[in-house]
Amino acid sequence: MTTRRLLTATLTLLLLQNYLIGQDKLNIKFGKIAPEDFDLSKYKYDTGASAVIIADIGNTSFIGNTKGDFSLVFKRHKRIKIINKNGYDIAKETIFVYQRNSDEEKLKDLKAATFNLENGKVVETDLDQKSIFTDKVDKYRSKKKFTFPAVKEGSIIDISYTIESDFYVDLRSWTFQGEYPCLWSEYQVTIPQFFHYVAVNQGDQNFAIHTSKEVNVNYSIRQPNGTERSEFLSIMGTATENRWVMKNVPPLKEESFTTTIRNHVSKITFQLHYVQFGEANERHDYMGNWFIASEKLLKHENFGQALDEDNHWMKEDLKAITTGCKNNEEKIRKIYAFVRSNFTCTDHDRLYTDNSLKTVFKKRNGNVAEINLLLVAMLRHEDIPSDPAVLSTRDNGYCSETYPMIDGFNYVICVARDNDKTFYLDASEPLMGFDHLPIDCYNGQARIINKEKPYAIYFDSDSLHERTVTGVVIIMDEKGKPSGSFQSTLGYYQSYNLREKAKKKSEKDVFKDIQTAYGSDVEISNTGIDSLDQLEYPVKIHYDFDLKNMTDDIIYFNPMMSEAYKENPFKSADRKYPVEMPYTMDELYSFSMEIPEGYVVDELPKSARVMLNDKEGMFEYLIQKNDIGIQMQMRIKLNKALFLPEDYSTLRDFFASIVKKQSEQIVLKKKK
Amino acid sequence: MKGLAIIIFIFFQLWSVAYGADGEFAVSNIPADILEHANVIKRMEEIRFDLDNVSKPKMYKKYVLTILNDNGDNDAVFSESYSKFREIASIDGVLYDDKGKKIRSLKKDEIKDLSGVGQEDLIDDHRVKQHSFYCKTYPYTVEYEFEIKYNTSAFFPYWIPQEGYYFGVQQSSISIIFPKSYTIRYKALNYSGEPEKSESHGNNVYSWRVKNLKPIEKEYAAPSWYNLTTFVLFGPSDFQMDNYQGSMSTWKAWGNFIIALTQNRDVLPDNIKKDVHQLTDGLKDTRQKIKVLYEYLQKNTRYISVQIGIGGWQPFDANYVASKKYGDCKALSNYMRALLKEAGIPSYYALIEAGEGEDDIIIDFPSPQFNHATLCVPVGKDSIWLECTSQTKAPGYIGAFTGNRHALLICENDSKIVSTTKYGMNENLMVRKIDGAVDSAGKLNFYCSTKMKGMQQDDIHERINYYSKEKMMEYLKQTIDLPTYDVVKFDYKEDKEIVPTLSETLEITATDYAQVSGKRLFIIPNIVNRIGTKLKMDDTRKYPIEFSAGYRDIDSIEIKIPAGYEPESIPEDLKLESKFGKYVRTTKVLPDKIVYYRLHERDASRFPATDYADLVKFYEQMYKADRSKVVLVKK
Repeated sequence: MTTRRLLTATLTLLLLQNYLIGQDKLNIKFGKIAPEDFDLSKYKYDTGASAVIIADIGNTSFIGNTKGDFSLVFKRHKRIKIINKNGYDIAKETIFVYQRNSDEEKLKDLKAATFNLENGKVVETDLDQKSIFTDKVDKYRSKKKFTFPAVKEGSIIDISYTIESDFYVDLRSWTFQGEYPCLWSEYQVTIPQFFHYVAVNQGDQNFAIHTSKEVNVNYSIRQPNGTERSEFLSIMGTATENRWVMKNVPPLKEESFTTTIRNHVSKITFQLHYVQFGEANERHDYMGNWFIASEKLLKHENFGQALDEDNHWMKEDLKAITTGCKNNEEKIRKIYAFVRSNFTCTDHDRLYTDNSLKTVFKKRNGNVAEINLLLVAMLRHEDIPSDPAVLSTRDNGYCSETYPMIDGFNYVICVARDNDKTFYLDASEPLMGFDHLPIDCYNGQARIINKEKPYAIYFDSDSLHERTVTGVVIIMDEKGKPSGSFQSTLGYYQSYNLREKAKKKSEKDVFKDIQTAYGSDVEISNTGIDSLDQLEYPVKIHYDFDLKNMTDDIIYFNPMMSEAYKENPFKSADRKYPVEMPYTMDELYSFSMEIPEGYVVDELPKSARVMLNDKEGMFEYLIQKNDIGIQMQMRIKLNKALFLPEDYSTLRDFFASIVKKQSEQIVLKKKK
Repeated sequence: MKGLAIIIFIFFQLWSVAYGADGEFAVSNIPADILEHANVIKRMEEIRFDLDNVSKPKMYKKYVLTILNDNGDNDAVFSESYSKFREIASIDGVLYDDKGKKIRSLKKDEIKDLSGVGQEDLIDDHRVKQHSFYCKTYPYTVEYEFEIKYNTSAFFPYWIPQEGYYFGVQQSSISIIFPKSYTIRYKALNYSGEPEKSESHGNNVYSWRVKNLKPIEKEYAAPSWYNLTTFVLFGPSDFQMDNYQGSMSTWKAWGNFIIALTQNRDVLPDNIKKDVHQLTDGLKDTRQKIKVLYEYLQKNTRYISVQIGIGGWQPFDANYVASKKYGDCKALSNYMRALLKEAGIPSYYALIEAGEGEDDIIIDFPSPQFNHATLCVPVGKDSIWLECTSQTKAPGYIGAFTGNRHALLICENDSKIVSTTKYGMNENLMVRKIDGAVDSAGKLNFYCSTKMKGMQQDDIHERINYYSKEKMMEYLKQTIDLPTYDVVKFDYKEDKEIVPTLSETLEITATDYAQVSGKRLFIIPNIVNRIGTKLKMDDTRKYPIEFSAGYRDIDSIEIKIPAGYEPESIPEDLKLESKFGKYVRTTKVLPDKIVYYRLHERDASRFPATDYADLVKFYEQMYKADRSKVVLVKK
C-alpha cells in the first residue's frame, strides 16, 4: 500500500449506530444576547483571528410533504463576533437555493441582526428584509445575498434560517472548519428508519461530542390524487438522531505543495444508500456499494445510457477515421487522436453529461464526461473493449475508497484494452499524449465503471517519475573564444508545459525568454525543440551559445549555468500538512568545459553527496579537472512524492544544501 | 479571344457551385500583412446606432472574427451585458470553417444567461448573455449579429475597431443616425479625416470606417491603448435616465445632472449631527476637523456595493448610511460630504476612473468615463482628496488608486475637470538601512529597516492592515528573494500623514547567503533590492515608452565580514545618469566590513521609440550591477 492510499484511508467511516460519549448542550437562542456575551476572553482561540464563530448549529430532519413524499428540513443558527475590520467580510452572507423541475429548496424564516455594545447596553439592529437580494446564478441555482447592518469592530452578528428541500438524496453535509476559528460547531441529523445513509468524516479534528439515539417520530404525507381528493398518510415509527459537536476548531491554514486544502477540512458528508419502507417492501438501492453504484451510473441518463445505444450515426465518420488501420491498437490511437484534436473541452470538472453524444459529436465540444464517454462509445462501436472510469482530481480532493461517495468524483477518463494491454486515455486535453493522463488525475483511486467488475485503479504521484537529462559542453574555438552547446530532455509533464507555452506563444518566444534570462553575457543560436509535436514523447530543447566577457584576470563561473535552483522551494520554516508533490523526480546534469588558453583552475567546488532519510532521496555533485578541462556531474533524485510534516525540515534542509552547492563557482586565473 | 474568356468564366462559376468554392470569409481572403503577428482578424464589422427615437436608441451590430490560434479563443466568445437600461433584442451567430463554409448556426438554448454580480459587489442588476461555439479547429470564423434597445439616452457606444494586441482588422464601420434637430457629439483619436455625412429618411447619418489595420505587438511600458489605435467616442447632448433629464454637452452640464441626482441626499439624522459637533466643535484647524471626521467615517462605516437601476448613478442618502453603516463609493462620499457640511466645511463630490494603472480619462470629451466616486475638500489653496471607501488610508492620502490623474469635480454650475494629488519621486520614496554580518560558512544575519513613503507603501499598507500577524509572518517568509532564510522578527509602524510613511523593521537569518567555494566567499552586497526587469533585446520598438509614477530608492548597507579574509574582487563603482533616471552604486571593502550604497530614481516621463535600445542597455547595467559580487579570499 502506498503512502497516498494510507492517507486516503484516514477518511474514516462513521457507523450510524448507538454509542454515547457525553452530553453537553449549548444554550443559545436567536437574538438573546447579554453584555457579557461580548467578552470572549475565557475562550481559547487563535488571537490573530479577525472574527470568531461563537456557535454554528445545524439540524437536518425529515417531514412529510404535499407531493406524496418526504422533504428535508435544514435549520441553522450561526453567531459570530467580529473582532476587527478584517473580519467584515464574514458579515456578507450568501445562501444558495436550488431548483429542478417541480422540486425545489425553499428559504424560510430568515432572521438576521447585529448587536453592538454601546455604553454597557446591547443595541440591536435588525436586517431590513428589503436588503435581501436574489441573484440568479443559472437555470437551477439562485443566491440569496445580504450584509448585516451596523457592523463595527466588536459587533456580534446572529443569523438563523430554515431551508426546506425536496432533494432527500442530497442530505446536507456539514463543515466544522473554515477560515475563522469556531468555538462550537454542531450538526444534528435525524433520519427515519426507512432511510439509510452512509456518512463519511474527514479532517484532523476530533469530536467533543457524538451521540446517537433512537427517537419516536410521526410524519404526515399528503398524496395529491389528480382531480380526486388528496390522500393523507400518517406514518409513525422511529428515527435515529445523531449529533456531532466540535469545540475550539482552529482555522484552516493554506500551504504550498498540498494538493488541495479541501483534504484537510473537518467535515461530514452523506450519501443515500437505500430506502426501504418496512421489511416486506421493496428495497430501493442508491449507491450502497460499487456494484450498485456502477450499475446506477451505467443506467444514468447523464452517464452510461448513451453507451448502451448502438450509435449508428457515428459509423461513417469512424470508417473514415480508421481506414487503413491494421490492428486494434492502431484503431485506438487513431480514434483517440481524432477526439483529442477535434473536440474542445468546455468544463474539466464534470461527472455527468448535459447533451447527447450525438449532439456533442456534432458540436465538436463538450465537458470532460461527454468527451471521454464519446471516446468510449466510439471505441465500443469498433468492438474495442473499453470502459469509462471515474475519479476525483487533485483539486477536488481525496475520495473514499470503500464507499462510492459519488458526489466526491468529478472527472471521467476512458480505459481501453487490446488483448493484455490497457490504455488510460483522456481526450479532453489537446496536448496530452496517448496513454498519458493530466497530472491532476494522479490523486489515488479511480474506479472503472462496468457491470462485471467495477474495480479500482490507482494513479499515485509516487508512480510518476519526472526525469530530466541535461548536458552542457563548452569548448574553445580556434581563436580561443569559448562557445558551447546545451541540450536538455525534459520530463513528461515539463514537456507538456513547454508544449503549452510554445503553442500559446511560439517556439521563437521560448528561446527569446531563455536569451533574456541569460542577458548579454551569453548569446544563444541554432535553437531547436525536438519532439514538440510527438505528444507521447518528452521534448528535447537544444541550442548553441557563445560566452562573452570571459577575459578578466580572474573568472568566476558557475558550472550549473542557468539550471541551478536559486531558491529553496520550501520557503516556510514549519509545516502543518504533508508535502504532496505531483511526482517523484530525477534530474541529471552533466557539464564539461575546456580551460581557456592562458588560464589555470584556481579553485573548484568540492564534490559532495547528500542523502535524504537514507534512501528517499539523493543529491550528488561530482566535479574534477584534468589537463584539458573540467567535468562535472550533478544528480537530484527524490524517490517519493509525499512527505509527512515530521519529515518537512529534513526535506527543506536537503533542498537548502542543493541550493547552496549549486551556487558554487569555478575560479579561473590568468597565468602570470 | 473574348469568347474564350467568357466560356472559361462560366465554366469556373459552374465548378464553384458544384464543388463549393471558398466562401466570403475564407482565410485565404485575408491580406498577408494583416495576418502577421495576429491571433484574431476582424473580417468585417458594422455598427449602427440609431437615434431616430431619441429617448429609446437602438444599436445594431454585426461582426465576423477569424480566430487563428487558441490565444484568440476569448475573442470568439460572445458576451453582452444587459440591465433595466439596456436590453438585448436578438442574437444570431454562425460558425464557419477555414474555407468560409458554414458549419452551423447558434441555437437559442445555447445562450447562457449569467449573473453580472462581481466579486466585490453585494448585488448588481446587470446580467450577461454569453455564447461560444467552442471551436478549436484553427483557423475558424465566428459571425454574430445582435440588436440592443436602450431605455435611456445616456449611454452611447464607443468604437475601437481593433480590440486588443495581436488583433488585425480588415474592415469596420460605425454609423450614427440622428434627427436633424439633435446635436451629436463625438471625438476621434487616430482617425484621419471627417466622418462621411449623408441622409436617410430625413435623419442625418454620420459614418466612420477603417480598413486593413495591422496587428499591434505588445511592448514594454507602452502608452494607453487609445493612443495606439483608432478610437471614436460618442456622447449625447440632452438625455434622459429614469425620471432625470440631463445634458452632457459640457462637463458643467453633466455635473449639474449629477447634482440633480444627489440633491437633498445629505440630510443627517440628529444623533450623527450630534457626533459631528462633539468631535469638531472644539477644534480650530480645518485640517484637523477633516482628519477627525474622516477617521469617524472609517470607524463607523464600511464599503458594500449595491448597484440597482438608477442606483448605479445615484448615491443612497446619508440617512441610509447612518442607519446601515455601509454604502458604496457614491453613498460613502455623499455621507462624508454631509458630515463635513455639518461641521461647516464645504466639499465636492467627484467622479473618477479609479484603479492602479488605469488609463486617464479623455478630458476634452464630456462623457461617463468614470467607475468611482470620491470627495475633494478645498482647504486654502490646497485640495484634500478623501477616499471614502477605505478603512485604513491616512486622511487625505489617495495613492495609486486615484492619485496622478484627472477627476470631474461636481459643483453647482461650475463642474470641471481637475487634477488629483500628484505623487512623484520625492513623495514615493524608500530609504533603507541594513546592518548585517556574514560568517565564513556563508550565513548572513541582518537587520533591515525601511521607510516607505507615498505609493511605495501602498502594497505593504494593505497587507499589514488586512493580514493577521501570523499571515504577515507567513507572507514575509515566502516572498523575500533569498535562497533559504527565516524571518526572526518583524515590526511595522504607520505614520498617517497626508503623504504617509510606513516603517518596517525586519530581522532575518539567511543561511547560505554567501557562496562558499573552498577558500573564497562570494557576497552580493545588495541583499533585498535588486531590479527584476529584464527587457527583451531584439525587439523593434514601434511606440513611445511611458513611465507612469516616479520613485526614488536609497539603500545603505553594511555587512560585517569574518576575520582572516581579504578582498579579491570588488565591483567597480557605477554612476549612470540618463534621461531614464539615475543609478548610483558604490562598494567599499574595509578590513572588517563591506559598505554599500545604492540610489535609483526615475520620474514619470515619456520617451520616443528610438530610445528603446538605450533603455534596454540601461536596465541591463542596473540588473547586473544589482547582482555583482564581492569576492573575499582567505589570507
